[in-house]
Amino acid sequence: MQTTDHIMELAGHRQEDFSVCMGCKVCASVCTINDLDIDMNPQEFLLKLFMGEEIKADNPLVRYCTSCYRCASACPWQIRIPEVVRAVKESLGIEARFEKAFKKSLDIWGRVYEPFVVIMSAPDLLMGGYIKFLPKWMEYAGFHFPHKVKRIRTSHTLKKGSSSKEGRS
Amino acid sequence: MEYGYYPGCSLTGSAKKLDQGVRQVCKKLGHNLTEIPDWNCCGALEYGDRNELMSISGENLKKAEGIHKEIVVPCPACYKNLKDADSDKSFNILSPLELLNNENLLKMEQKNDLKGQVFFPYYGCLLMRPEGSAIKNKNIMEDAISTFGGDIDGEKMKDRCCGGNQLFLNKWVTEKLSNLILTKSKGTIVVFCPFCHMAMKTFAEGRKVIYLTDLLLYVMGENKSL
Ligand code: SF4
Ligand code: SF4
Repeated sequence: MQTTDHIMELAGHRQEDFSVCMGCKVCASVCTINDLDIDMNPQEFLLKLFMGEEIKADNPLVRYCTSCYRCASACPWQIRIPEVVRAVKESLGIEARFEKAFKKSLDIWGRVYEPFVVIMSAPDLLMGGYIKFLPKWMEYAGFHFPHKVKRIRTSHTLKKGSSSKEGRS
Repeated sequence: MEYGYYPGCSLTGSAKKLDQGVRQVCKKLGHNLTEIPDWNCCGALEYGDRNELMSISGENLKKAEGIHKEIVVPCPACYKNLKDADSDKSFNILSPLELLNNENLLKMEQKNDLKGQVFFPYYGCLLMRPEGSAIKNKNIMEDAISTFGGDIDGEKMKDRCCGGNQLFLNKWVTEKLSNLILTKSKGTIVVFCPFCHMAMKTFAEGRKVIYLTDLLLYVMGENKSL
């Protein structure tokens, strides 16, 4: 479901927070996406959302926003644009293998267990030309067993209602 | 001083070096870090539902309730999330950088100096903004480097984005953004963020990438080389 209301709710913003946007485009002038020579700006993105236009998965901000918060910190109204972008991603159900693996790890252990994320993302890493970085990444390698957390509240664990009921350790 | 400690997931794995460095430097400063019992992932930047993210992060604060009020959080993403989750400011969420000041830097026992060496103190995004969750002294890495005789470069790039969180999604984005930072700075890259460390390490050719803790431990003679 992609309605403006739903996205604002996901992003934890209220309608009023957006209605103050005065189109000053300060966010556009500082957006990191400019450095990628891509023609897109956060203000346009908000405007689309506000006009009830559908934002598609190939929108440059949906694809490339780095959550750098340059826009949000420059905005006179502190609109948390990267969080709006993430809410749109969520509503579109866009998740790369790496992101799926990250969340799956939280569902299983309550923490990110990196060896699991690497294995789950292996097809993308192999096909995506990451192998050449391995020599540089050796210093990050090291083995440890996963640690299972007793209590965590993701929507997944709440649905299951299992781990969330346990008391404080 | 006694502090609660939230290492976060990457510090138990790929950023183990930062974890060990923070623990060692804190010990030197006379601080005692105790891990929050049963701490869970902060959710990083992976959740589009802010309520869900805040509940994942906030769970850690519940686990710290009644035990710790002051919590040290090294990873900038964890630091931001825990700070945001603490909406009524019941806790004092601190980056280890906030435990450093000119006074305790000057008091550090100096066995090695940094004279004649150039450093690029690189903070990245989440320690610097948004203002509500940013660290207060945004020059603390420069202060540390110059206290021990090192030269600073790349000031204009210190808060630019390396695109670290796109590394496993669209690596060309990270490559382009990191290269922009690398071409406009010189010297050893000093970071405090595991994402920045990985992005810089991946794309910097022939330049060292270190955590500020590595630098401090070298100065204090705990590490033999930089
Ligand atoms: S957070 Fe996203 S939209 Fe905002 S400046 Fe950074 S890349 Fe642009
Ligand atoms: S900086 Fe804020 S007020 Fe200005 S156009 Fe961007 S979102 Fe709107």
